[in-house]
Amino acid sequence: MSSDTSFGGALSGASEVAHRTRRLVLVGLVFLVPWVVIVGRLWFLQLEQGPHYQSLAAGNFVRENDITPDRGRIFDAKGRVLAENRPSYDIMASPMILFRNKDVPQLLATKLPIDKDKLERLIAASQTGTGAEIVVRRDVPRDQVAVVETWKNELPGIYLRISQRRYYPFDSLAAHTIGYVSGISEEEARSWESTGYTGGDQVGRTGLERWFESILRGAPGLERNVVDVRGVEQSASVANELLGSLRRVEPVPGQELVLTLDADLTQIADDAMARTPSGGLVALDPRDGSILALYSKPGFNLNAWSGRLSNEEKRRIDNDPFKPMLNKVTSSYFPGSTYKVVTAMAGLEEGLVNAKTEVDCNGVFRYGNRDFRCWNRGGHGEVNLASALAASCDVYFYGLGVELGMDRLARYATEFGFGEMTGVTLPGESAGLVPTKAWHETHSDGGFQFGFAVNTSVGQGDVRTTPLQLALAYAALANGGSLFYPRLVDRIQLQDGTAVYEYPRKARRQLPFKPENVRQVMRGLRAVLDTEEGTAHEYRLSYVDAAGKTGTAQVRALDTARLDGSEALFADRDHAWFVAVAPVEDPRIVVAVFVEHGGHGASAAAPVAMKVIDRYFREVLGMDEAVTAYVDGSDRKRLHDLLHEPEAAAAGTPSKVSGEPGAPVFRSPMEGSGSAPEVTP
Amino acid sequence: MKSTRLAGNRTRNVDPVLLFLLMTIALVGYFDLHSSANVAVTGHDKAHLIRLVVGLVAATAIGFRDYRFLERWAYIIYGGVMLLLLAVLAIGEIRNGSQRWIDLGAIDLQPSELAKLAVIIALARYFHDLGERDRLGFADLWPPALMVAFPFVLILEEPDLGTGLVVLFIALTMMAVQRISWLVIGASGLAAAAAAPIMWFFVMHDYQKARVLAFMSPERHLQGDAWQVSQSMIAIGSGGLTGKGFLKGSQVQGGFVTYHETDFIFAHHAEQWGFLGSLALLGLYLALAWWSLNIARTARDRFAMLCAVGVGAFVFWHVIINIGMVTGTLPVVGLWLPLVSYGGTATVTVMAAMGLLTSISLRRHVF
Repeated sequence: MSSDTSFGGALSGASEVAHRTRRLVLVGLVFLVPWVVIVGRLWFLQLEQGPHYQSLAAGNFVRENDITPDRGRIFDAKGRVLAENRPSYDIMASPMILFRNKDVPQLLATKLPIDKDKLERLIAASQTGTGAEIVVRRDVPRDQVAVVETWKNELPGIYLRISQRRYYPFDSLAAHTIGYVSGISEEEARSWESTGYTGGDQVGRTGLERWFESILRGAPGLERNVVDVRGVEQSASVANELLGSLRRVEPVPGQELVLTLDADLTQIADDAMARTPSGGLVALDPRDGSILALYSKPGFNLNAWSGRLSNEEKRRIDNDPFKPMLNKVTSSYFPGSTYKVVTAMAGLEEGLVNAKTEVDCNGVFRYGNRDFRCWNRGGHGEVNLASALAASCDVYFYGLGVELGMDRLARYATEFGFGEMTGVTLPGESAGLVPTKAWHETHSDGGFQFGFAVNTSVGQGDVRTTPLQLALAYAALANGGSLFYPRLVDRIQLQDGTAVYEYPRKARRQLPFKPENVRQVMRGLRAVLDTEEGTAHEYRLSYVDAAGKTGTAQVRALDTARLDGSEALFADRDHAWFVAVAPVEDPRIVVAVFVEHGGHGASAAAPVAMKVIDRYFREVLGMDEAVTAYVDGSDRKRLHDLLHEPEAAAAGTPSKVSGEPGAPVFRSPMEGSGSAPEVTP
Repeated sequence: MKSTRLAGNRTRNVDPVLLFLLMTIALVGYFDLHSSANVAVTGHDKAHLIRLVVGLVAATAIGFRDYRFLERWAYIIYGGVMLLLLAVLAIGEIRNGSQRWIDLGAIDLQPSELAKLAVIIALARYFHDLGERDRLGFADLWPPALMVAFPFVLILEEPDLGTGLVVLFIALTMMAVQRISWLVIGASGLAAAAAAPIMWFFVMHDYQKARVLAFMSPERHLQGDAWQVSQSMIAIGSGGLTGKGFLKGSQVQGGFVTYHETDFIFAHHAEQWGFLGSLALLGLYLALAWWSLNIARTARDRFAMLCAVGVGAFVFWHVIINIGMVTGTLPVVGLWLPLVSYGGTATVTVMAAMGLLTSISLRRHVF
């Protein structure tokens, strides 16, 4: 091989050129191998795994913030707000930023009542997550909001979040009916997961807030924000550019409830129950079952329970013997003599007695080898059905109970709706209990004994009813036999007021009793107020015919001596009841009052019920002037006409079932208090 | 000399393919830096462009000069760079845990970058002097082996595994165009296999081992290097077929990809432009490497041919190792992407190499 000296090492022959080219092509091909590997790798990453990495990238930079929908408001029948939402401020923390500003918790703790150690623990615990936010303190008062605003430059990573909280303008009014909401824990949120709850979401705990949770809540929306590696949110324009239409999902506001309840009447119930520590009151429209007032005592403050309730306060309420959280209107108790309508109706229907059948009460009823006492130790003498109801003679009903027997009594009780839930739209309703022979065989020591029917006939023994059941049963007696489903919610509407659902006015069943028998029982109930020996005579209203029944339910065993209120321990005292209907001929209101351990029904419960009825006519229906004119004798016509004028009728709930047209609704001027049906004293 | 008389024709001889490839890749680099500048220090994009233009002018200037002065000065240059490599270990500045820089006031000199060029020139000179010979044996090959091993060890000491590997791969590629006896190839293969454990236990630094370990089991090292790589892979993967669009790379814009303007700029490129954009850039690089081989093919002497192969190998292996590392195919070794990554010395080095290539192409042999 020759070598050119001037071009040292320059190409010197064709074979060399060929060799060089061969070698270079080889190197070129060798280059191709790693190149293809890299392209293959990119193919795998970008095309095969593209969607996977896209979701990882999205998780990296997209932060999803829930937008809480407006919870549906709750209104009373006259449009007054019972539950609404108010803006509230939460103090929030960004762990990613605080992680690099270690002195912030210390500074924050000096400005606000915040536990520094707890906050640091929260920050440390959130390090594993990517940019998750921490709620430092919920619903802080305005002065704390001001502190955070003032010091925001010194407190990087601490910011305010505006949210909504439930607010109840009437605090504790109708608390058991409305119910309260509170935040759910992370643990609870997991069990609610299928319906899309996250920790801290407000959820209805009791009452309507709970029953209608899914309707009131609405559907949460979503806002997606773009964050950088430090977890700091980028500007809205960056988010819009990267996310476009995916950025925001609008929340759907919850639907609103318009109740049949009247806030005024509930307040009236509260006033009327002022002297009783514990009990329940329900007022409803007997024409369609609409609940006008639902009141349980003691109450509780909805705003306190929906906000921060101190452990101490919570413990106090939990240990309160009067059970403030219990809705007594839908809880069951011994009904006492209010139950005698069942025994009376059964006796009439079965033909065991008629209106004229007389029984001699000498104060004691002997059955087998046991004495059952009448509440009136001296005895009532000769009584018929009406006077036995009026004076609440036990002996009359003891005998009837024995003749009817356990199961026949139970059948009639069931016709009245006892022993089954009324279907009120509230959680925790009790069905009560209508004992039968079979029930006693399995539940009583020693099985069924014949004496049980004696106790049951006067609402003792094991029978239990709720105030609501009693009110609906009496309403059915008064309205011509329709046993209604209670209406508590009149309608469900959208935020703008468009009704989406109206609760039907629907009878569960018609009472299958002879009208004549119903009239006889009603006559007896009327005598309770109208006649001298009537147990509630002194509480009657001079201007309106009312019918009612007192009840005094023994809490202790029947054969122990009865104790009157003052001597007994509170928990041993009798329950006091009164159920009343007015006006008798064209009933507009039924009130059932239960005073737990209140003593005698006549003295503890009847005045409460009659006061509520009185104020219902005067204040809620706006008849105060006419009533006053009637009572002082200056105008006796106006009151009579009022209910038959269309405007006045519209003030009440629409009439579906009513008395005979033109029948005297209010006491006619010609009739005195003695005009009540033939009742033999 | 005859060749200098060709000067009148030089401008017309400027290689249009090479110029097109350089300009296109540089322009891609500008746009990638521009969008990355959105989140990084602003002005990187313009600084990069200015450097490239200056570099290109300088490269062309070098190119118009006769490359043969390099041939004459090859060993002197090599010796000078070796001294600098020694100096950097003694007085160099430590950044990010390694000692790679010499502070010269106005510029920071990175001798390991110069070493790549020095090795190319020195090897070209050695094999040029050796002439066209068959079956090079151990006697012929130990001097070039030392010429590579000396800077390789020094660079590893800094430590800078990436640059060390590039030097090694440049040398191996240049050897590949020699006629070497099979005995030497077989023996070298065995020696390399034997060297691996020795390297692991005695030469490699802890951080380098950590990177290799992180590469082999990424889920166990979710902090540090593996985090970098996993974020880079998310950026690349989420680019999909067509990418997220200019300035819309959420991974980079959100700051999830670290060193997104330097070593990890390819992640940024792939996120924005997708598989098609990545393929286009890789295609440009392959074309550049192949065009270097073509320049080598037409080079008028062995020195020029070997220099062109060396420069092609330099660009090519830089690209492969860099993209291999950002795609999680190779461990993280810290290497920039030629003509696209932001960085002073990197741009100067790559432009000097391109100048050399231009010079060779200007004096190509005409068959």
